Amino acid sequence: MLAPKRVKFRKQQKGRMRGMATRGNTVAFGDYGLQSLEPGWVSNRQIEAARVALTRHIKRGGKVWIRIFPDKPITKKPAETRMGKGKGNPELWVAVVKPGRVMFELEGVTDQIARRAFELAAAKLPVKCRLVVREGAAEGVTQ
Amino acid sequence: MAATANLNAVLRQGRGKGPARRLRRAGRVPAVIYGHGDETRALSVDARELEHLFGRISIESTIIDLTIEGDGAGTVKALVREVQMHPYKPEVVHVDFYQIHAGERIHVAIPIRLVGTAAGVKAGGLMQLALHDVAIRCLPEQIPDAIEHDVSALEIGDSVHVRELAVPPGVEIEEDPDRTVCSVIPPQVIALEAPPVAAEGVGGEVEPELIRRRPEEEEQPPATAQGGAEGSESKKGQR
Repeated sequence: MLAPKRVKFRKQQKGRMRGMATRGNTVAFGDYGLQSLEPGWVSNRQIEAARVALTRHIKRGGKVWIRIFPDKPITKKPAETRMGKGKGNPELWVAVVKPGRVMFELEGVTDQIARRAFELAAAKLPVKCRLVVREGAAEGVTQ
Repeated sequence: MAATANLNAVLRQGRGKGPARRLRRAGRVPAVIYGHGDETRALSVDARELEHLFGRISIESTIIDLTIEGDGAGTVKALVREVQMHPYKPEVVHVDFYQIHAGERIHVAIPIRLVGTAAGVKAGGLMQLALHDVAIRCLPEQIPDAIEHDVSALEIGDSVHVRELAVPPGVEIEEDPDRTVCSVIPPQVIALEAPPVAAEGVGGEVEPELIRRRPEEEEQPPATAQGGAEGSESKKGQR
């Protein structure tokens, strides 16, 4: 699963997810992209589940790009613990996703396969998504 | 030969985000027109007319006869230089028009269109397009719709470079000639299952190494420092 190799600090503050994705909001590498329509935290397990769903459906003959990276540690306090005594331990890594962010891209597959693959992948993610198509790649939603 | 289309625009007075937002609420799109030696003018165009136009033309290479209301110039010829879109809604936020003049060579990006199915793709390879648009310089009336290249002879491992692209006479390519346009790569065996993760550290995953700059006398191996920190944290949490 995706996780940073080295970090400066073990724990981070929660932060806020205001605004929209001003970068990474267009299809840059492949022909098809899966774009987020709402803000959220996407964990490394969810990214991996979506990647497996994509690659299983396209079998072979396509290329997948993952354009988000889970670089934010999320801490949790153990169960049945009293409040206080400091911040909990890091439990998972998440990518902060804002509306408009293109999370996955595909190339080398037909329009039908790309649509179904992204449907399956979107079911693994905690945010509403839509398919975006590079202009001129195929018929469908264009950017 | 460049295609042409018509569009109506109105000179706009207000500048900045306030007037621009009011325009968008009223169903218009703020725009600007500029060109070599021309005065820059702020415009607005009808959103529905623009959407309809963009749906049927090749945006980069179509010459637009822009009729500007409230301006002595009347109709000018322009190219769409930039389209700003909403991050996720299919809405145009702003358009840049570039005024062109007959006899003046212009820079424009043209899409590359691959023709045919590569032999390598039929053999199981994957066509990877590295360059989607190519920058060219030519007269406005010579702008091609796209640069086509036949790839049917490409085998697995073969590539097409910018120097191999054939362009019509009068058109000059401005990209690096050695830049790769596309290549047929061997079929990839994609790992379906995640690699097993060592069950140590917090949450069954290995914690990343900390980037710490310490004075030399206090320097310790990172594993020891990290392990110590983890131990104290976990003890605190369990109390």
